[in-house]
Amino acid sequence: MIRRGLRAAARLGHHGALPGGPYILPRFSLASAFGSSMDSLVSRFCQEKTDLKNYALPNASWCPDMLNLYHEFLEKTKADGWIRLPSFKSNRNHIQGLKFPLVLTVSSDKSDCHIFTRCIKTEGQGYEYVIFFHPSKKKSVCLFQPGPYLEGPRGFAHGGSLAAMIDETFSKTAYLAGDGLFTLNLNTRFKNLIRMGSLAVLNVGVEKVEDQKLYISCVAQSTDQQTVYAKASGTFLQLQLEEDSSQY
Amino acid sequence: MLRSCTAALRTLRALRGRREGASPAARDPVLARRWFSTEKVIPKDHALPNPSWSKDLRLLFDQFMKKCEDGSWERLPSYKNSKLVKEQLSQAQLFTRGYEDGLGFEYVIFYNDDEKRTVCLFQGGPYLQGVPGFLHGGAIATMIDAAVGMCAAIPGGIVMTANLNINFKRPIPLCSVVVINSQLDKIEGRKLFLSCTVRSADEKILYSEATGLFIKLDPEKSLI
Repeated sequence: MIRRGLRAAARLGHHGALPGGPYILPRFSLASAFGSSMDSLVSRFCQEKTDLKNYALPNASWCPDMLNLYHEFLEKTKADGWIRLPSFKSNRNHIQGLKFPLVLTVSSDKSDCHIFTRCIKTEGQGYEYVIFFHPSKKKSVCLFQPGPYLEGPRGFAHGGSLAAMIDETFSKTAYLAGDGLFTLNLNTRFKNLIRMGSLAVLNVGVEKVEDQKLYISCVAQSTDQQTVYAKASGTFLQLQLEEDSSQY
Repeated sequence: MLRSCTAALRTLRALRGRREGASPAARDPVLARRWFSTEKVIPKDHALPNPSWSKDLRLLFDQFMKKCEDGSWERLPSYKNSKLVKEQLSQAQLFTRGYEDGLGFEYVIFYNDDEKRTVCLFQGGPYLQGVPGFLHGGAIATMIDAAVGMCAAIPGGIVMTANLNINFKRPIPLCSVVVINSQLDKIEGRKLFLSCTVRSADEKILYSEATGLFIKLDPEKSLI
């Protein structure tokens, strides 16, 4: 059953362009089609009607570059097929109606868990970011502004924080584009340091899907594209989530 | 990734210097005052047990502290507040020390000078989650960068991460203890090649493997 689902996911990965016109999110439906279509994953992920706090919204700490690009992409969500991804406290909040396979449940799953990139709550201090995803192109753009908690060399972001942001963007893209769940490989080549409080734009794209693995790459650069901060590639294991019948 | 490690080097020299005589106490007030000449406050060393440390972590810590007794291994202290430090410490430690006890990165690094390798004992807390119940790949990458970077900085001086290639074999359960073994494989001019493994406390499970390339920087040149 899982194998069929994975093959279905792989086929969907090669699916051509979605119907033209404004991209409207399908209504969330429990009786979703066999296997998780990208539409279903996206709608469960985004949870249009929710009280959960969405961390991927502008706040006072966002620099002008970040605000400008954010609004540019927000415009593109109206007609060009881009989707602004919300960002909740835990990955559990992004899989409404689904659950992780039994083999993955661990006893140490506490309620005060936070996703790594959203654990520093004070605005502007840690990871400030928002991801825009394009389903048919299987691409993402992440606007990332590192704060003082992420400091490495004085005045610049720690390399590990960029690797983490790349992994997180990879992870969301791989999941929505093709049920990618676990990072198998992350290869990061650092070129230049990111000044704290400035914007880094991460351009991510799925390269191919093969043998239950999803291959993905990223170029992180400055707003004006003059400086490349890092290039990275990743491999993700495809693992389809199960329907959570216990909720209904 | 830049590593200014002058203070780390001083740590090493100071610790070695005490091999012959005095107590191996990690918190030596006299030593601290010599480093931090501006303040009388003794900064907190985070690379020491606190209530959030699990039994596994404490056990491993004690085992390695025993190994330090004959001088072959050194425990590296870890400070959080850069304002108290006259020189730049390995900056990775500021990022990884920004959490309350037990919520984020709980770790201690031991260094073996003869074998040119480090062992990092790491316990990742609930604020480092990825897939629920497991550590985020990015948090693991951060810790690997810090541990391997320290292994490069001690022989190499001021170094910067050029490349980090991590293979994740199995997901690491949240709040479990892992051992990150890093070693210096070779040096070619200004390039330092390192590798590491991430295993469970009992060494039975291999969670990840990584290789890293670090570049020695010219301290005269500016960063950008």
